[in-house]
Amino acid sequence: MKYKVTESENISTVFLDGEIDMDVADNVREVVFPLIDSGKEVHLNLKGVQYMDSSGISVIVESNQRAKEKNTKVELKEVSQPVEKVLAMARKFL
Amino acid sequence: MNTEATNLSEKKDFLVRSSSLKDVRSFSREVFEKFKIDENLREELVLAIAEAAQNIVKHAYKDYPDTQDRMAVRISCTDKELEIAFFDKGKPVEESKVKHRAIDDVKPGGLGTFFIQEIMDSIKFKEGDKPWINNLVLTKKL
Repeated sequence: MKYKVTESENISTVFLDGEIDMDVADNVREVVFPLIDSGKEVHLNLKGVQYMDSSGISVIVESNQRAKEKNTKVELKEVSQPVEKVLAMARKFL
Repeated sequence: MNTEATNLSEKKDFLVRSSSLKDVRSFSREVFEKFKIDENLREELVLAIAEAAQNIVKHAYKDYPDTQDRMAVRISCTDKELEIAFFDKGKPVEESKVKHRAIDDVKPGGLGTFFIQEIMDSIKFKEGDKPWINNLVLTKKL
């Protein structure tokens, strides 16, 4: 999994690339959580994510919960088709 | 599915750890290509397989993160059904405890069992024949 972070005013955009599974979920948390904790709005750009499992969904849910606690928000941008399919399945549960 | 793909079976073993999950996915994709499984089904089947393998790493070997044990994945198919079997030597699975998490409990991998249930037609836990301890069998009608 690779990533890139861009900054624009009070928005940090994290471009994630590759496959997000249990093995790399903590790496994503290490990138995203400090941005949320700084109070910035965080956009997760998932255009380059070809695969995501339940661990990736958990990172998104945890990020949203964390953002609410910090009075900011997390938004998903340019969700790839494979990720959208998994999100659709997760929405039935969440 | 191509009608030429009848009674096929492929099996491979993997070290029980999270870094093996990408190898499990690669193996599954290769087998589905070889078996000519419907492309629209492949990625969700890969997800179900990866979630089941993840459960072995997370639960059957919860207290043994540095184990050198291996788990095996066998993918078999006939014209009508795909069967995916998992074999491991970890802590015996208590089937009554295998359920997806509550909505507000979203720890990593917590949705995995739900995904498997959504994707597959049946889930059966069996005692593994020696040397295996656990044998999980997932099936999907084709």
